[in-house]
Amino acid sequence: MKKVHPPKLARRLLRLLISEPLFDDFDGDLTELFWERAEAKGATAAKLHYYKDVLLSARNIDLKRKLKFHNPLVMYKNYLKIAFRNLLKYKGYSFINITGLALGMSACLLILLFVNNELNFDGFHEKKSKIYRLDEVQRFGTVSEQKVALSMYPMGPNILADYPEVVNFTRYWTAGRTLVEYNNKQVYMDKLVRVDTSFLQMFDFKLIEGSRADAFKDNLDVMISETLAKRIFGSEDPIGKTLKTSGENLVKVSGVFEDVPENSHLQFDALVGTGMWDSEQRQNGWGSNYLNTYLQLAPNADPSALEAKFDDFLVKYMGEETLEYYTLFLQPLTDVHLGSMDITHDYNNYNKFARSSVNIFLVLAFFVLLIASINFMNLSTARAATRSREVGVRKSIGAFKGQITRQFMVESVLLTFIALLIGFGLCALAIKPLNQIIDRELSMQLLFLPQHLLLIVATTVFIGFLSGIYPALVMSGFNPVLALKGAVSTSRKSFFRNALVVFQYAIAIAIIIGTVVATDQLNYMQNLNLGFEKDNVIAIQMYDDTNEKYDLLASEFNNLPNVTNVTATSQRLGNNLHQTSMQYRADTALIQGSSSFVVVDNNFFDFYKMEMVEGRALSDDYAADEAGLSFVINETLAQEIRQGNESVLGTKFHFGGADTLGQVVGVVKDFNYNKLSLKVEPLFMSKQDFGGWSEMNVKIKGESVKEALAEMEMVWTELFPQRPFEYKFLDEHIDEMYRSEQQLTKVISILSVLAIIIASLGLFGLASFTVRQRLKEMGIRKVLGASVQQIVMILSRKFTLLVIVAFAIAAPLTYYFMSDWLSSYAFSIKLGLGVFIIVGVGSWLIALLTVSLQSIRVAKSNPVKTLRVD
Amino acid sequence: MKGTHLGEFEELVLLAVAALHGNAYAVTVKGEIEERASRKVNISAVHSSLYRLEEKGFLESSVGGATNKRGGKSKRLFKVTAYGFKSLKEAQSLRQSFWNIIPQLSTQE
Repeated sequence: MKKVHPPKLARRLLRLLISEPLFDDFDGDLTELFWERAEAKGATAAKLHYYKDVLLSARNIDLKRKLKFHNPLVMYKNYLKIAFRNLLKYKGYSFINITGLALGMSACLLILLFVNNELNFDGFHEKKSKIYRLDEVQRFGTVSEQKVALSMYPMGPNILADYPEVVNFTRYWTAGRTLVEYNNKQVYMDKLVRVDTSFLQMFDFKLIEGSRADAFKDNLDVMISETLAKRIFGSEDPIGKTLKTSGENLVKVSGVFEDVPENSHLQFDALVGTGMWDSEQRQNGWGSNYLNTYLQLAPNADPSALEAKFDDFLVKYMGEETLEYYTLFLQPLTDVHLGSMDITHDYNNYNKFARSSVNIFLVLAFFVLLIASINFMNLSTARAATRSREVGVRKSIGAFKGQITRQFMVESVLLTFIALLIGFGLCALAIKPLNQIIDRELSMQLLFLPQHLLLIVATTVFIGFLSGIYPALVMSGFNPVLALKGAVSTSRKSFFRNALVVFQYAIAIAIIIGTVVATDQLNYMQNLNLGFEKDNVIAIQMYDDTNEKYDLLASEFNNLPNVTNVTATSQRLGNNLHQTSMQYRADTALIQGSSSFVVVDNNFFDFYKMEMVEGRALSDDYAADEAGLSFVINETLAQEIRQGNESVLGTKFHFGGADTLGQVVGVVKDFNYNKLSLKVEPLFMSKQDFGGWSEMNVKIKGESVKEALAEMEMVWTELFPQRPFEYKFLDEHIDEMYRSEQQLTKVISILSVLAIIIASLGLFGLASFTVRQRLKEMGIRKVLGASVQQIVMILSRKFTLLVIVAFAIAAPLTYYFMSDWLSSYAFSIKLGLGVFIIVGVGSWLIALLTVSLQSIRVAKSNPVKTLRVD
Repeated sequence: MKGTHLGEFEELVLLAVAALHGNAYAVTVKGEIEERASRKVNISAVHSSLYRLEEKGFLESSVGGATNKRGGKSKRLFKVTAYGFKSLKEAQSLRQSFWNIIPQLSTQE
């Protein structure tokens, strides 16, 4: 009989339409029908009908046979139960596993909190995207080009008038510490700031009382912070009360604002309008920079288009040659906190921080978490062998591969959640000390915002999945027969595990080397001979009233037994110094230039033990010195004005536009008054009668600091009962320049310690696993006469190799990055091999110690016992 | 009860499976329905119903023998579960309860 078959094409279509497990049933049914029809009605009709059946079967395209023979809930319960039993059964493993991950997670969480804080600095101003700070690039002859966060008094109002795309401006002009009197009680306003009436309309600092719109309409209105209001008025209502300032002005409190939040780059506790200072002379005061200007642009304005017009603006008001000295640029408000590291004279930028440091933190957080996750993965895989029997049993009673995979995934996710909980706990413990180190007020509350919590949970699940997937797949792939015998070979996979260990260690080594180098560099900068003696120097701020009795104060101080010297200046050393124009004569030509300038008392050079290269220091003995006609310049400036090989001594010199009335009398060796990442700029010094010092420096005997301070306070309080005695150590002030770097190195030190701890935890777990695997081998070796040392050697050799490979990967990369980083400093340490060798050997020793904890135990074990197993 | 609602065709399939006891698979179920209800039914409709009914728990299945007739493919034999029977009975008694209250008038000739 000629056999007819269902049409092949249709059958193939059926295979496409029907899900795999159902196909056989369907195919059988259709085939049966086909042959029935073929017999009854002939082949053609049957074929046509077959086509119809197949086409109509398209309706069953999503039909599936649900397997109903297990209840997933019961199995999940079982997974959880087994997971917990395993946790408790292998307490050591579980501890290492969870602790490592928890450490990594908490470090990561805290860093993210910090980064979030930094990125959201000044984020509470609603118009933040439209507000820009007006900054300048200055190029004054011999001084290197510099970006400054300064602008001129008339700039704001004139820009507003000239450019319609600017809708508002405010100036921010600090008045410093100001003593005010209320009911015969004297209180300092620590940070009094002069602002324009629009200030509170542009910036959303929260008001408690008073009106945003009418703020500072009256010249004598002042607004104060909540805390200051409490300090001055106690429980009285401050509104409408008058305060007396030192200038005998009476100001009226017109409003109270909430204390300025920590995450604002502007920090103030009292505000007053600029009106009181708004003289015509000041309105035309082009050329002097002493305040910040903020502009608010129209919603659709393009800041770079506006910037392009600023050159014309400068020419219009200050003349063509201005462009040689100034360029104006706009800095977005949201960029001020993190993007101002290259901007100097940036006095109103609280807690300013480097964006690069934030990025470093992010990268480190990621790597620490990565190391921890790898750990987790490695340990879980290593543990697989100990559970091969469980897998074998499960498989032989009918568990599918997918179920075993799922089981271990669930377990992995469960463990990551336990780690997360512990991580939260660690965060709570660590957040306070961390806040002290980085000088922030981070709060964990942020973590519990729904969107953040969701992200954290999602990441945790992700980590759980990712670190669980490899062990889960390995274990589900076990051959049940071998698994039951407990003879699962893992040698194939050990390459992968070793690679992970190498990777972990490479990261840890890189982080540690980086930290050591950065810390070295910081210490180097802080301890470098700056060219002047900064130790045991006390800096005291001077005011109008204290200046009146300066001579008396100085001589009283000098009489104290523990004070060795007293001097005074116009600016404290340890930051950028103000620049001014200067001019000198070369032959007969008058040459204009610009340089930093500090007014100093005659004994300044002696006080700071500065070395004179040429000529003499200032002295009380010369009438010209006292008259302000003698100038001491630093080497950099001397280089600048030197004519050929002639001495610069006697060069006609003066500053501020006055003709060259004075002359250079001495050259002082360059000293580093600014950050060491910057080179020394030209500087001149002279004694000028500007009506008072802003700064008094007192040198005390190093061995009796306390006594000296007590004596000085007595003298001070006697002379100025109205002013509390306040002082600062100069070296502390200088260290403050490096605060951002210090915070960075402190935090990365902690992170690098964490990294090595976590990596070692992983190694420890892995070592114990390897050692367990080779128990019998070691037993046989011992029987054959191997000594304890030999066995430890054999077991440690592999790990030594791993660390060496890790080091070989990490060292060149770190060398490259760190030498790049160091080259950004004008004064930097040499990147020596020493650091690399120490860190390399150190991490090798740590690894060896970790491994030998395990291997010695094996080496000492009794071979009878180890060989008896099985 | 919403979840256990049986469609008209589903009820027929269920009844057919019950009637065929032991030899109910797609082809025989189709034949049974066509014979009794004298209407044409496509095999795909029977497939849908059988597998959906199984998913709902009205039916259970086992793999039966392969025959040459089927190109060597085994057949899936269906059986009505206790739950399936209960539902069938409920459907029947529901109908019966309506019949009980319909006045027995002239329509019954």
